[in-house]
Amino acid sequence: MTAAIQTSGLTKRYRKVTALNDCTISIPEGRISALIGPNGAGKTTLLRLLAGLSRPSAGQATVNGSRPRQDPAFLADIGYLGQEIPLYRRLSAEDHIQAGAHLNPRWDSALVRERLAGLKIPLGRAVGKLSGGQRAQVALALVLAKQPRLLLLDEPVAALDPLARRNFLGVLVDAVAMGNLTVLLSSHLIADLERVCDHLVMLASSRVQLCGDIEDLLAEHVILTGPSKDITAIERSQRVVQVTRTLRQTTLLVRLNGPVIDPAFQTSEVSLEELALAYLGEEVPPTPAPARLSAVASGGTTPPYPHEHSAVFGDNQ
Amino acid sequence: MTWLVWRQHRVQYLIGAALLAAFAVMIVVTGEQVSNQFHAAQAGCAAGHGCRHLGGLFMGSKVVGFLVIATLGTPVLVGLFWGAPLVAAEAEAGTTQFAWMQSVTRKRWLAVKIGWMLLAATIWGGVISALVTWWVSPTNAEQLNQFDPGRFDIVGIVPVGYSLFAVALGVTAGALLRRTLPALAVTLAGFIVARVVITLWLRSHYMSPVTVIYNVLGGFTPRGAYWQLASGVLGPNGQPLAQPNNTPYFDGVPQTYLPGACSVMNGPNPPNNPPSACVQALSHYHAYLTYQPADRFWTFQGIETGIFLVLAATLIMVTAVTLLRRDA
Repeated sequence: MTAAIQTSGLTKRYRKVTALNDCTISIPEGRISALIGPNGAGKTTLLRLLAGLSRPSAGQATVNGSRPRQDPAFLADIGYLGQEIPLYRRLSAEDHIQAGAHLNPRWDSALVRERLAGLKIPLGRAVGKLSGGQRAQVALALVLAKQPRLLLLDEPVAALDPLARRNFLGVLVDAVAMGNLTVLLSSHLIADLERVCDHLVMLASSRVQLCGDIEDLLAEHVILTGPSKDITAIERSQRVVQVTRTLRQTTLLVRLNGPVIDPAFQTSEVSLEELALAYLGEEVPPTPAPARLSAVASGGTTPPYPHEHSAVFGDNQ
Repeated sequence: MTWLVWRQHRVQYLIGAALLAAFAVMIVVTGEQVSNQFHAAQAGCAAGHGCRHLGGLFMGSKVVGFLVIATLGTPVLVGLFWGAPLVAAEAEAGTTQFAWMQSVTRKRWLAVKIGWMLLAATIWGGVISALVTWWVSPTNAEQLNQFDPGRFDIVGIVPVGYSLFAVALGVTAGALLRRTLPALAVTLAGFIVARVVITLWLRSHYMSPVTVIYNVLGGFTPRGAYWQLASGVLGPNGQPLAQPNNTPYFDGVPQTYLPGACSVMNGPNPPNNPPSACVQALSHYHAYLTYQPADRFWTFQGIETGIFLVLAATLIMVTAVTLLRRDA
């Protein structure tokens, strides 16, 4: 399988801050890949580097088989939508459609018009007068109309209501199923990502924590629950990602190196959300919370999420 | 790209065109009036004792006359309202990202946007200058110094150079600062500084001036609307003589330096004709005049326009390099 995105040692430094450090990932073609991580982890930096909007300080990226560069052919194959949803506020959606038709070799005006009509978004009104969610829908429709081979979306659904979110993600899945499209999208909404993504890139503290097939990653990790006791035996044979202790029991999330042979511990499958929280929690220095005896700062006790849309981490939502 | 440029900037361009049209109507209507006044004044002079200079005669409507002088400032308007926001406003709104993520390179984006704007600025500067040149032509027939600030820089081709420079300055300030308001301030200040420095300190040096030394008795006046840079009197030994202010002059020579034979001329009852000894003594006195001849007017226009075009080209290169090198 060829890779739509391949990076090695990709690094971006701003004056004093390293926004992305030694990022080596590979994203296969034809997949929807989730880019997750806490705020400031380097997600936007990575997406911008891949789109060619900024240049790496070190390392390199290969996107659709070539270095990101100022070239119409390269740009035609990339669809990028930034968090800020950049649109000309005084121009209407229809103006944007026509601009796109003038500026791109492939462009599906009918697709945008249909999509926006379906969403009851007026084509003739200045984009600045639309609601935030409607603006996001216009921008998403436009980026799809470009018919890119690679879509780079930076928190595209953050402004959408749950129904619109589900609808948009459905559109993405359909587009990928039609072939010749790879998607890398960042989001804080893990439940959404879990439903549509089959590949995962996790960043924290400017570094890659995990990269791979979600199925494989879930299979490689396991939750162990057992009595509160010494866990050095397990630590010796497995990589413990996260430890959560309460008075009565210890919960471990481990990356398996082999079978767990401690009968005191029960094994259970890990969800994408638990996996994400564990890795993200690992990066945060533990702050002792005496009342809870929690070893991790974020999500020390993993609360149940009765509604998928409340499954949120970070502070964006 | 052109479609997007027009869609984005058409309001700006239409406002510019409307202002031009209004100005043109005003100039054409009052221009006739100016011309009539001029001919009437000339006829008056001819009937009297003949006067070459109509001096401080102000012709035409005062308001329009003021507007004509105010066209000194019109080039910077396009720098402020067209140039400065070109990149800065898009950077502020983040819309550069929309444009740069279409299948258009930043180089082409910039080239098309700046290209149309430079064309518009050329038209703006050119039309205003053509109207003003026509309007003031009777005044210029008075043979006043055409190199003066306020005359030289509102006619001919220099307003085009100024306009292109102003736009380039605005675009560059906007591209470097990425914020419209500071870019406006820098454009205004930069334009004024460039114009003042070049007008006051550079313009007189475009070509080496002509110096003519002549006998004080003969007198000398260059032809046409020349630009006087320096003048003075040289004594019998060729030494320059100070020219104090509150002293009577005789044939251009200050009283204090008059030869003794001429002292009667400054006495209580000066004779009608100076004594021959005085004339003899004065024949050793010379005056000099350093000036730029009138026929250099268009050469100077060309040189000044060239300077501003080079400045504009340099600024645009800076913008291009900045936008292509810098992270979006």
